[in-house]
Amino acid sequence: MSASLAPECNEVKERYDNCFLKWYSEKFLRGTATTDECDPLFKQYEKCLSVREPISLVRPTHHHQKVLKERGIDKMVKEAREDNRENDAEHMKPVSVPSSPS
Amino acid sequence: MKIFQQNTEFDYSWEEVSTSNWRKYGPWNESCKHVIAVDTLSRTVDPSTGILRTERLITCKQSAPKWVLSLLGGQDTSLVYETSYVDPSQRSVTLCSMNMTWSDLLNVRETCIYSPSSSDPGKKTKFQQRAEVTALCGGWAKIKNKLEEVTVERFQQNAAKGREGFEMVLEMSRRAFQEQKSPILREARI
Repeated sequence: MSASLAPECNEVKERYDNCFLKWYSEKFLRGTATTDECDPLFKQYEKCLSVREPISLVRPTHHHQKVLKERGIDKMVKEAREDNRENDAEHMKPVSVPSSPS
Repeated sequence: MKIFQQNTEFDYSWEEVSTSNWRKYGPWNESCKHVIAVDTLSRTVDPSTGILRTERLITCKQSAPKWVLSLLGGQDTSLVYETSYVDPSQRSVTLCSMNMTWSDLLNVRETCIYSPSSSDPGKKTKFQQRAEVTALCGGWAKIKNKLEEVTVERFQQNAAKGREGFEMVLEMSRRAFQEQKSPILREARI
């Protein structure tokens, strides 16, 4: 797996990545994923990058991230998110026509 | 604005390609040493569509020509913001990337789509890549034009390397998963 931009987070990131990959190939692609069982590991990984702030339950990924903040990356991410709205709108939309076997 | 695009196919099932996509910048890929870090910023499954959305931050070592680097302020790393959308029911992976570094001067937007090949949907995967490059620096049209040209050339050079690297990852993943006997990939190959 690839490294984290914060070297101190490499270990937890690797554990999360491995968990995710297993979940993705064995459950998500098979359509049997009910919950994201890797979420606790993701929270740890996220916390490693983050300031100790109460994590908002509503938008858990939008709290300030320490490493990101220190390097001014948080602002850039915010801007990129804004710029990406069109992509979200285009690619998150529900499929209106049911897929037919081709 | 200048455009780079290519369409190609991989001799692996969509399930294998979409899984290996997450390992694309890992140690199995000898051709992407310029990617030094990949961090996941968020990941959610949309309950109504089942689409998996992932936000990642990709840190790259700069390899731009010196005159471009000096023009752009001499930073030696650059950051890319990527969102990806995996629709398991449609069997498609769409990756949208944009540059975060130098975004005042240069706008690079790339969309890559992996979907089952129409010729052999169970065993082959189609890869569509399109990048739009727009220089934003005011004034001198010649410089803008050159900057766009250099960036598109870089895409062309990286396309071949990217493919070669991803082929390595696909092969290693197939071997690793064969050893693990992951049910989804075993089924996908039948």
